[in-house]
Amino acid sequence: MGYQLSKAAGDKLLAQWSRNGIVFAPVKMEGEGCFADTDVVRYGNVTSLDQVEWEKKSDYSFKEILLPINETLFYFTEDQTMVPKGKEQKILIFLRSCDLHAVKRLDQIYLHNGGEDFYYNRLRRRAKFILMPCAETCDSGFCAAMGTNACEDYDAYVSVEGEDVFLDIRDEELSMWGEEILNGNSETTVALQFPKENKEKVTLPKNLSNESVSLALWKEYGDRCIGCGRCNFVCPTCTCFTMQDIFYRDNTNVGERRRVWASCQVDGYTDMAGGHSYRKSQGERMRFKVMHKIYDFEKRFGYPMCVGCGRCDDVCPEYISYSACINRLAKEEQTHEK
Amino acid sequence: MGLDINTKKLKKNAFRVSKVRGIGASRIRVPGGYLDARVLGMVQEIAQEYGNGFVHLTSRQGFEIEGIRFEDMDKINEKLQPIIELLEINQEKPGAGYPASGTRNISACIGSNVCPFANYNTARLAKDIEKAVFPNDLHFKIACTGCSNDCAKARLHDFGIIGMTMPQYDPDRCVSCEACVKGCRALSVNALHMENYKVIRDKDKCIGCGVCVTKCPTRAWTRSKKKYYKLTIMGRTGKRNPRLGQDFLAWADAENIIKIILNTYAFVEEHISPDAPGRKEHIGYIIDRVGFEEYKKWALRDVELMPETIMKECVYWDGIHFDR
Amino acid sequence: MKNDYIPQLSTIKEVIRHTDLEYTFRMEYEGEVKPGQFFEISLPKFGEAPISVSGIGDGTVDFTIRRVGKVTNEIFENYVGDRLFIRGPYGNGFLLDHYRGKELVIVTGGTGLSPVRGVVEHFARHPEEAMGTTLIAGFKSPKDVLFKEDFDFWREKISVIQTVDAAPEGYEGPVGMVTKYIPTLKLKHLEHASFICVGPPVMIRFTVMEILKLGVPEESIWVSHERKMCCGLGKCGHCKIGSSYVCLDGPVFNYTDGKELID
Repeated sequence: MGYQLSKAAGDKLLAQWSRNGIVFAPVKMEGEGCFADTDVVRYGNVTSLDQVEWEKKSDYSFKEILLPINETLFYFTEDQTMVPKGKEQKILIFLRSCDLHAVKRLDQIYLHNGGEDFYYNRLRRRAKFILMPCAETCDSGFCAAMGTNACEDYDAYVSVEGEDVFLDIRDEELSMWGEEILNGNSETTVALQFPKENKEKVTLPKNLSNESVSLALWKEYGDRCIGCGRCNFVCPTCTCFTMQDIFYRDNTNVGERRRVWASCQVDGYTDMAGGHSYRKSQGERMRFKVMHKIYDFEKRFGYPMCVGCGRCDDVCPEYISYSACINRLAKEEQTHEK
Repeated sequence: MGLDINTKKLKKNAFRVSKVRGIGASRIRVPGGYLDARVLGMVQEIAQEYGNGFVHLTSRQGFEIEGIRFEDMDKINEKLQPIIELLEINQEKPGAGYPASGTRNISACIGSNVCPFANYNTARLAKDIEKAVFPNDLHFKIACTGCSNDCAKARLHDFGIIGMTMPQYDPDRCVSCEACVKGCRALSVNALHMENYKVIRDKDKCIGCGVCVTKCPTRAWTRSKKKYYKLTIMGRTGKRNPRLGQDFLAWADAENIIKIILNTYAFVEEHISPDAPGRKEHIGYIIDRVGFEEYKKWALRDVELMPETIMKECVYWDGIHFDR
Repeated sequence: MKNDYIPQLSTIKEVIRHTDLEYTFRMEYEGEVKPGQFFEISLPKFGEAPISVSGIGDGTVDFTIRRVGKVTNEIFENYVGDRLFIRGPYGNGFLLDHYRGKELVIVTGGTGLSPVRGVVEHFARHPEEAMGTTLIAGFKSPKDVLFKEDFDFWREKISVIQTVDAAPEGYEGPVGMVTKYIPTLKLKHLEHASFICVGPPVMIRFTVMEILKLGVPEESIWVSHERKMCCGLGKCGHCKIGSSYVCLDGPVFNYTDGKELID
């Protein structure tokens, strides 16, 4: 249901929500960027609208809330295991349309590829998604090309325009929690702000196949990529992890097993016991990633993995543009056809 | 009628006596080597109107306008006024040019305005120091450099200020990619190692260069909110005993560093050799003569260092000796 | 909600030493297991490793482990009278129905014999279920040969070529790569032939090339792949090749699918 509130009322609503759940939103973390005196926008706790970074797309996506960077699976002693208790409190996540589409990709792997993942599932069930507006397209995103520029399956939509807050609340609990504030406000129709087109124009190659593996461009990217994994870590759809067993220093027979984000671009990703590994060159790894994002995943699940948020382009220290790479693949295809 | 000029006065006014009779040069200080590009046009104008059309970019990041005639000094000083104002140089009398030249331009590497490695805005600190110490006729050389790479060659100065950051580690964001460990090993001092899939920083070894922060792909490493600096002292070039400045303070703050520099002026006033030609004696030679303990007493007056600051109780220098 | 990550403690019933580096651990396990499936075996604080099932007994499963990494080293060090954590089984395994009534040829390289040992064992015990069974098992050298006692039994029941890449002088028995023996196979019914090929990636590649040269159709060839299967549950991503997850869709692939897998 749509509402128009004053900013003060909007803030009260958010305060009300944060009494009933933990609210996560993109927050500008000052001085925490890669370089001196630079900021980073990543997810943090908020209790008021002004704490939210509304303008700049977050450098790191929301995924770390549903898929913690480090997650303890269980504690162990020599002959016992114990699973840390999950919380019950609801989690409210402010995100943009592209990212809401990424949730579907996370669900795909963690709920529908093999069995349901215990840890993801118990976090996911607590999550509500609050859509943020994209009044204008960001510089690097290409959501329109990926069909992720608009969405419907949000729990609420919140947009701050000057001193007004526009809301569309679909989730019953969110309505209920905000009852006091919302009551007395007449319902209105709220027009959602989605970018219709992007500055970044991306054409998807139509006929990718295993043949694409042998293209020369991978070698070129291989010479440029430094294998830092930033593209994976900022990506809202990358879901890989590695298991780690750690033991406590005071009692080395006690410890915990964790899962920790992994990157297919970083050394060690395919290493097997005994020393054998696959995709030793960065070029092969880049190819693996790109093919996964726009070909392999789609082949398996019926839609592309990439949501076109453009974060990987923004973060690459070597200025490797994934979107430019896709366009190159499409172009190579065309010239091939001719 | 012959030229009758007080060369001591003109030197203090930031002009230079050249090897050509009647011809000098005008020296323009640019703190931190950072300037509004409009200054360039002004320098050009002076060089073309009063000089020989050529300008030397000095090794201390100033300009030296060549080929000016001593008769034109007053007019040049007037022309210098907008430059002095744009660069916000402390001045006693507007229109009279620079009030001193002994304390040299505060030089700096490009710093965090541009450089990804720099830990602070070197130009800004250079300017702050300039504001605090200039004008002064005593021969002080100070440089600010963004990180331990020391592109500004701060260690060749009486005071070298090297940017540091106290790396902040959030193990919950760490993915064990080891980019920081490898980076520290390859580019810095190998102060990091992995234990239980997390990074351990050797606090004694760490030089606060910030390589771990720039290498970290997940923001597990970030810079400290507080800016830290290393203060190296009494480096010098020269004829007798050129040497690198040695660490005096590590993990220090800018405020105390400026205090120490100002205290050093008082120390020099007290101890400078009465025979020093033109009251120019490298501070390092004064300390060599009176002893580091005496210097320290002066330098630390009213200085209250932060708990994390590490101070060397005694500093030793070596370098190349041509005087023994 | 089921938590698939929690391993169960399992007692080591027996340890069979094949070589200095390869032991078979017979572990307690109740439940259905197919040859070719794998378990995640772990020693807390050293981590998990995917190990394929090399034998299925009454209330036990066998894991033939090669001592090559942190986890396996530790398993070797600590097994005596001890227990290990296991979870599984994972993967599709070999479906015996694919080979029943066929002229079955199994080609293995080194420890590649472990995952397929159950299949060999089955057709050695029930030779009538196949039109004929041949095992071509390659090892690096005579001292690397695994399952020596099994070979004695298999030789009586099925046709066995046990070859070594290289052997000291005076060694009696076949020498050379497994690929050398494929052209010598006397297949009676090409259309009924069924091949299983398990081993290191290079061995698989060259073996399949030889098999195809015989005129065997791709769909009659089965390969088993090994990758870094961290979770075994289709989540961690490490074993993904192309659009397949080895832990879910494999490790056994019909070659028509297997050939599409590009790392």
